[in-house]
Amino acid sequence: MSDTSPIPPFIPPQIPGQNRPAPNPPLGDNPGERVPIGGFVAAIETMLREPRRLMYQLRQQSAGSLILRLLIIAVLCSAIYGVVVGTFSRGVQLWAAPVKIAAGLLVAGLICLPSLYIFSCLSGSQARLMEVFGLVASLLTLMTVLLIGFAPVAWVFSQSTNSVPAMGALHLVFWAVSTFFGLRFLTTGFTHLSAAFDGGLKVWIAIFLLVVLQMTTALRPIVGTAETFWPAEKKFFVSHWIESLK
Amino acid sequence: MRTLTCILCHQQILVLLRAEPDSLRDWVERWQPARFHLCVAATVLGAGIYGAVMGSWRDPWQALYTGIKLPLVILLTTLGNAALNAMLAPLLGLNLGFRHCLMVILMTFTIAAIMLAGFSPIAAFIVWNMPPLTAATGLTSPEYGFLQLTLVAFIAYAGVMGNLCLAPLLRIWSGRAVTARNVLLAWLTMNLLLGSQICWVLRPFIWDPSRPVEFLGPEFLRGSFYETVFEAFRRLIFP
Repeated sequence: MSDTSPIPPFIPPQIPGQNRPAPNPPLGDNPGERVPIGGFVAAIETMLREPRRLMYQLRQQSAGSLILRLLIIAVLCSAIYGVVVGTFSRGVQLWAAPVKIAAGLLVAGLICLPSLYIFSCLSGSQARLMEVFGLVASLLTLMTVLLIGFAPVAWVFSQSTNSVPAMGALHLVFWAVSTFFGLRFLTTGFTHLSAAFDGGLKVWIAIFLLVVLQMTTALRPIVGTAETFWPAEKKFFVSHWIESLK
Repeated sequence: MRTLTCILCHQQILVLLRAEPDSLRDWVERWQPARFHLCVAATVLGAGIYGAVMGSWRDPWQALYTGIKLPLVILLTTLGNAALNAMLAPLLGLNLGFRHCLMVILMTFTIAAIMLAGFSPIAAFIVWNMPPLTAATGLTSPEYGFLQLTLVAFIAYAGVMGNLCLAPLLRIWSGRAVTARNVLLAWLTMNLLLGSQICWVLRPFIWDPSRPVEFLGPEFLRGSFYETVFEAFRRLIFP
């Protein structure tokens, strides 16, 4: 039997700069990081397994097509997750939820992009707007790709329960986990922009989270149903949550 | 030829149960469809036997249904979380591919299912000792509570042991105990989240006092496991 035969030692390649306290060499030091990323699947794979390579590629002059690909992936993945969200209420929500989620995330990213660029300039970074845009696109892409991973779980729950608060809470938890990993990527990316951020990035992260959370209320209903596509009344997201729980 | 196949399968199962990191690593690294099929077959058989014992208290048909549903829960959980687990591993610092992740988790469940098969005679003994399902044995009777808790405890123990067998392998791959622990905890959390809900959807496993024996209850897509637990806590705190 081959089970007991000696095999060469196999250690999966580690992900630099993720969990290790090892020194953080400049991007591109490793020749593998200079290999261009082609295709959509390769972009997702690189984001998950070789984040430094993606960060290096985003800093190149020709990063435009890569950023476009990332944005397309983000829109597609958020739309697919949106369909899963829509299966809870069915009907109009099957197309309304994907549209709202994809558009909401893109708009949230665009709204927050200028402030992030300004923060980076204030902290002494030489980063171009395109590089910052690339990092925001990566943040959205990583978030939505992870949401796709959560989609089967969300689907099982959405077919079982009738409780809007329970489904809303579940989607929020999945969004929070995805956002955590997305923001971690963004933070790591910024350390390579020679930016001494201090509290600037933390403030931006807080703003981004608030914007996305408010977007869920501004574009409601996403999980439940309503008579109109847009909400008839303006509300702060905390008030909306409290009302939903009553 | 058939005898030889049985012997080979038996040896493979033993390799899996010993859970030596080198052997497990070989199973994951060298993708062989035969091993994958063996894992699926062992899961179906092991969990199926235990499920049949669980359901046998109520009725032979319930034994058949639970014998089908318990392996189904395991396989659906493995498949449902496959993509997510493969994404979480590299994000937490362990650069494993999709197929590797799938195989590792399937092996974990296989070990748990084989353990459950081993517990089946004990579970059968407990079921045999339980008073038969009559008007005197209700949902609130201590015998039913004991049966429920014991059967669930066996499943929980097998699940935990299956995962603990996996831990040394993850530690070798990641090179760090913290990374291995994080990946294991992330996988466990997601498998628990989805697994409990799939169990909820596929209920009843032992019996439903208000219904005849059936594969799925009429309310299989109503409510969720966590809402019910939350509601029970709420009733306990605010009666």
